[in-house]
Amino acid sequence: MRSVLALAIALILLGGFGPMLAPYDPVAINIPKRLSPPGAEFLLGTDALGRDILSRLLHGARWSLGLAFLISLISLIIGTAVGLMAALGGKVADWAVMRTTDSFLAFPELVAAVVIAGLMGAGTWSLIFALSVTGWMRYARVARGIGLSLQTRGYVVQAKLAGMSPIAIARWHYLPSLLPSLTVVWTGMFARAILGISSLGFLGFGVEPPIPEWGAMLLDARVHMRSTPLQMIWPGLAVVASVLAINVAGDMLRDAISNERSQS
Amino acid sequence: MIATLSGLVLRAIVVLSGTAFLTFALLWNAPGDPAQAIAMARFDALLSEDVIAQVREEAGLNRNFWAAFWDWVGPLMMLDFGNSSVTGRPVWPDLWTSISYTFPLAIVSLGVGLAVSLPLAILATRRPGGWVDRCAVAIASIGTAIPAFWLGLLLILLFAVHLAWLPAMGARTPAHAILPAMTLGLGVAASLTRIIRSGILEARNQPFLPAIQRRGVTPHAIGRDHIAPHAAVPVVTVLGLELAFLLEGLVMVEVIFGRPGLGTFLVSAISARDFPHVQAVVVVAAVVFVTVNLLIDVIYKLIDPRIAARDA
Repeated sequence: MRSVLALAIALILLGGFGPMLAPYDPVAINIPKRLSPPGAEFLLGTDALGRDILSRLLHGARWSLGLAFLISLISLIIGTAVGLMAALGGKVADWAVMRTTDSFLAFPELVAAVVIAGLMGAGTWSLIFALSVTGWMRYARVARGIGLSLQTRGYVVQAKLAGMSPIAIARWHYLPSLLPSLTVVWTGMFARAILGISSLGFLGFGVEPPIPEWGAMLLDARVHMRSTPLQMIWPGLAVVASVLAINVAGDMLRDAISNERSQS
Repeated sequence: MIATLSGLVLRAIVVLSGTAFLTFALLWNAPGDPAQAIAMARFDALLSEDVIAQVREEAGLNRNFWAAFWDWVGPLMMLDFGNSSVTGRPVWPDLWTSISYTFPLAIVSLGVGLAVSLPLAILATRRPGGWVDRCAVAIASIGTAIPAFWLGLLLILLFAVHLAWLPAMGARTPAHAILPAMTLGLGVAASLTRIIRSGILEARNQPFLPAIQRRGVTPHAIGRDHIAPHAAVPVVTVLGLELAFLLEGLVMVEVIFGRPGLGTFLVSAISARDFPHVQAVVVVAAVVFVTVNLLIDVIYKLIDPRIAARDA
């Protein structure tokens, strides 16, 4: 478990400092050296355009992890706002908001993201939009559930009687209770976002081509599977290691929170 | 029971209408000129404004939003998906062909998932914390972290390229389905193993078990009559999520293995901007998804009467 936490910290550092460690320019094309095997000059070899795979992986960390962080944060904000609106807005608002949420959930998230990103055309912004718009529903459900359970608590009732506005109540009395559970949901969605970005990249609906994103690297590598199979291994390993580390960190967080609750 | 059932059905209808509206609104507002894309797909190059305008007229893209929406929804109620805007052929036969490739694959993958996860979870819970258990948990954690498309590529690399045992691309023979089914099935197995394992462990902690044991009931009978139904509840709960995972995986896996199923149909329709095709896939997937979730809700209430009592 401790080793996985170390891996999670390493990932954060990788996202931040990875590009500085890259030995070459990740988009520099070097045709004479194309598809070279791993060796002293290129530690993990080069791709079909002679670009250094190690450098692309390290730069890719910033794109894949950074975009996943951004996307999971945007959907966290949307989902929490929607969920609290349902919990605080009364019965009609609750029904309308939750049926809207169900409509969004009536479709596998990644498939919806493929449709949206595909129709908007490849690009970083459409990727962010597609994955954020399809990723907020779980937060909304959790936020609404906890919000409804808080409604009858003494301090919330008193805050209402004291004339606090619903927005102030949401800010000061609901958000602090929501944070632990939402953080656990967030780790899961962070991992899902990494998978989503690489899936869209692999389908060619992801970030623009020269950008070294892990899924797009896999798409490039697939064509040369027979001649240089190793080229296909590295980006996949990077995705699996990141998702695994984040998932396990999320599990540990959930266990820690439920332990604390059962003790208090 | 009938009241809850009709409530669930009503909810499913509301949700499906919402999905249909959202889909149509999304496609209608998608950036880029669909008429131009269709004209490109049909006539290749050398497009004048005149040609694009004619295509726009023919594909019905020059109407206002609501008129177009009702023109789409009306026939949809009669299961008429309209004609492809690229080829002009009716959508349904082509859609049906692709479903006939996707549906068996999905079922076989679910079967593979269950066939792997059930014995693995039972074996793992024999001695919780033992090395079998730890291995099972580790495999399951890694399995949920592997993207389906990468697992598919690895399997192609091993079984099709290196060993040359199995075909990788296409869907001509049943052998072509082995690698895709393995890819999806292993993904399903990974998440199911976790759920079944924790379900069994939780059922073991139930306070009534020692009492039954002291009455002299055999461990086998306890497992069958008391632990299995308890462990089934969380499994049924996640079946909906499992289905979503399966549909997401199907899109990627079909593209990798070149199977002409729903996923390939969807991706090529998106690239060609063939809106009737995209809409048809979205509607079919949403109907399947909502129906299955509805069934799960019903089964859930049947196997665990406490839930029905709480909801009523």
